[in-house]
Amino acid sequence: MSGFYVLDVAEFDPLIRAAEQHRDCRVHPVIAGYRYVEFDGTIEITRESTGLGEAVWFGCLTAGLDGKITSFTSQAIKLAPTNEPVLGVQEMRA
Amino acid sequence: MTATPSLAGHMALHGVDHTARPTWKLRETVEFYRDILGLKLVHAITAKGWGREKEEHADFIHFFFDSGKESCIAFFYYIGTQQPPELVVPKGYMAMANHTAWRVETEEELLIWQKRLEEKGVKVSQFVKHEILESIYFRDPNFYPLEITRSLRDMEALDAVDAEMTITAALSLEDSKRWTNIEQLWRAKADFVRKRQQEAETRVAS
Repeated sequence: MSGFYVLDVAEFDPLIRAAEQHRDCRVHPVIAGYRYVEFDGTIEITRESTGLGEAVWFGCLTAGLDGKITSFTSQAIKLAPTNEPVLGVQEMRA
Repeated sequence: MTATPSLAGHMALHGVDHTARPTWKLRETVEFYRDILGLKLVHAITAKGWGREKEEHADFIHFFFDSGKESCIAFFYYIGTQQPPELVVPKGYMAMANHTAWRVETEEELLIWQKRLEEKGVKVSQFVKHEILESIYFRDPNFYPLEITRSLRDMEALDAVDAEMTITAALSLEDSKRWTNIEQLWRAKADFVRKRQQEAETRVAS
């Protein structure tokens, strides 16, 4: 499963609204302060669709990513599934 | 033998008293903080070094401007000295990390400050919203970065929870010695958030 987490605070609400309108995203309910935005395959979210300013936009995945960033510009972010190991977490699990 | 008093539960800081930095531009600094920003000059210490002769400590003035809520921004002027090259504020974003941000309460106040600075010929940024703050940025005559900011919302308990997971993930990445980008952090952090959600769901189910 690929997706990203979004902290349930006001400044990230526009990102949730955009994900809800995105045909390839499924927005899960808030659990323990976070929503999970699930996606299949590759997706693109435009900054314009969120209405976010650049400062918040460039931190929009701060709550965590299950997937891979293939492109991240001021206009759009492209995400894809990945099986690549997660650095840090692997060491902690070992 | 006297027992060391326990500070547990009683130890706290109560805001900023002052921050201080050196200046080699006395007149410009006074004119900027007192006359342009309009901060009241509230205290000045003058001294013959600190009595630290071995260091050849310069005689100095240490002066304080009121920056509100009993806080001050202060400067040291070391008489007859030259600014060491390593204390020249470098250009670029990394040196900007070392800055002072003052608080205002409303958007109107922020606008008033922006207009005042512009009218006084200070180059000032547009409003920048960054998560829980909205700010304007400018520089003092020493090139020290300054910010005036207003809070867009209160920090919640959830912000602290989130910060704790961010820093825990970041520490593990720093230990890995192979940390090069924010994507690595976001991927590592997802593991913490997933566990938090799983634990919450387990509690609900049990």
